[in-house]
Amino acid sequence: MKNIEKYRNAFIEALELDENETLEELALGESSEWDSLGHMILISTLEEAFDVSIDADVMTEFDSYQTGIDLLTRLGVDFANE
Amino acid sequence: MTFISIEFLLFFAVIVFTYYSIPHRWRWILLLAASYSFYASLNSYFVLLLLASTAFSYVTGIIIEKQETKQQKKRVMLAGICVLLFILGWFKYFNFVNDSVRAIAIYMNWNYGVPYQEIVMPIAISFYTFQAVSYLVDIYKGKLKAERHYGYFSIYFAFFPQLVAGPIERAKKLLPQFKVEQTLKYENLSYGMKRIAWGFFKKTLIADRLAPIVASVYNSPDATGSEIVLATILFSIQLYADFSALSDIAIGCARILGIKLTENFKQPHFAVSIGDFWNRWHITLSTWLRDYIFIPLSKGKKKRSEIYLVIVITFLVSGIWHGAAWTFVLWGLIHGFYRVFGDHTKHVRGKMASFTRLDQSPSLHKWVKIAITFLLVCFSRVFFRSNSVAEAFENAQLFLTPYSWRPAGLIDALQLFSLLDLMIFSFFFVIVQLFHYIERKNTSTWDWLSQRPAFTRYAVYVLIVVSVLIFGATGQGFVYGGF
Repeated sequence: MKNIEKYRNAFIEALELDENETLEELALGESSEWDSLGHMILISTLEEAFDVSIDADVMTEFDSYQTGIDLLTRLGVDFANE
Repeated sequence: MTFISIEFLLFFAVIVFTYYSIPHRWRWILLLAASYSFYASLNSYFVLLLLASTAFSYVTGIIIEKQETKQQKKRVMLAGICVLLFILGWFKYFNFVNDSVRAIAIYMNWNYGVPYQEIVMPIAISFYTFQAVSYLVDIYKGKLKAERHYGYFSIYFAFFPQLVAGPIERAKKLLPQFKVEQTLKYENLSYGMKRIAWGFFKKTLIADRLAPIVASVYNSPDATGSEIVLATILFSIQLYADFSALSDIAIGCARILGIKLTENFKQPHFAVSIGDFWNRWHITLSTWLRDYIFIPLSKGKKKRSEIYLVIVITFLVSGIWHGAAWTFVLWGLIHGFYRVFGDHTKHVRGKMASFTRLDQSPSLHKWVKIAITFLLVCFSRVFFRSNSVAEAFENAQLFLTPYSWRPAGLIDALQLFSLLDLMIFSFFFVIVQLFHYIERKNTSTWDWLSQRPAFTRYAVYVLIVVSVLIFGATGQGFVYGGF
């Protein structure tokens, strides 16, 4: 499975979203599913899916679907060349 | 020597004058001497404990850094935290645990012979212990290098403006500021003096005027339901005025010395939910609990029910941190319940707002949420303020009785004030609300005020100072100074 698909699946699983939902526009706090508690579940799901550790300091940077990709890229997850 | 005294202002003036008169390389000695002198004036016996905790944390930080593997670092960090928590536990919680175990033993007919111990709790121990724990964890995580300059490290531990009741600072933010050569800047001096004056204003004209009224109800064996309701609402106002005043004075003093401390309050009584309340009340404790309790315990949790448990644990820690009594444990538990209940029912509440068409009037909806949050916070404070668990439940029952809320009863309860006291309190309360209103419309009331004509500005400054001198009530300690 490609990393972008794993990433998408993590969102659907953690935030209990519909599989057909458009995720690219999602942002923290702008939907009832992605609130502060949903954020913690999403972090745990992403950590397990990509075997990375997301530190408390950078958690606040992760506030949208796109910034999550940027953060994981910084942690060594390759979204571009796969 | 407390913050609210002429002695403190004179002491601080001498420190500021000397601080800017001597070369930067000697200033740490001055700040350290000032900090220990200030602490000794409050509690000379426990300066030794502060020195020992400082030395221990300093050495432990360096040992953590010198370990080669992450596992070794973790072991040293945990050992260090255990020692710090043991010291805190011994002084703050020994009799709480001892009394609780004795009560259980009596109930179960066990033989338990550990007597009550006369242990005096060192002032500020909860605050500096939390700073020490965050320091060790941050070194373990590699976010911070262990400080080698013992003088600067000691100031981080004992910096007198924030030693007694915070803000709880992180070493990463505070330590570098001590090392920068500060020059006397007009804007720092001006802003610092305004914050100190505003702190004196809230403390002496709101908090200390309300304290005896609240105490007269909570210490009375036959308070009426309406009196409990009124006293609890007044206690919420008192607690905010008291604690935020302490933070204002700390932030103001530090700013005059060129040091920026973290803001601790953002109008918490205008929060729209309990989660929002904790983003606005005692912010440095909330973020500490989030970073060092909630987030580590939430790691790997993939169900809301598991996160709910972590929330309750975090609020229990918050409750126990506040005081060694079951009333504080219950207070923490109530907030944990609020937070979990709020999350669990958010969809239902959304539907209710839609059904009642409240969501079509955003402003009204917001104020309804502010009012409900404030009342929930007030209810929890019945437990925070009551002298025992039994009294807390009696008071809570009175608070929840609809009869206690009838307007005639509440108007009668206003007789707790003398007419003069009521007028003075109401006048200054309106001024504080005006200050908050301007702050909600602008980013800072002080900035807004600085853009007014000189006459208006100075009229406000004179009003603040003269009001404190003429109408200020003193003699009450800070509520959070006892934690």
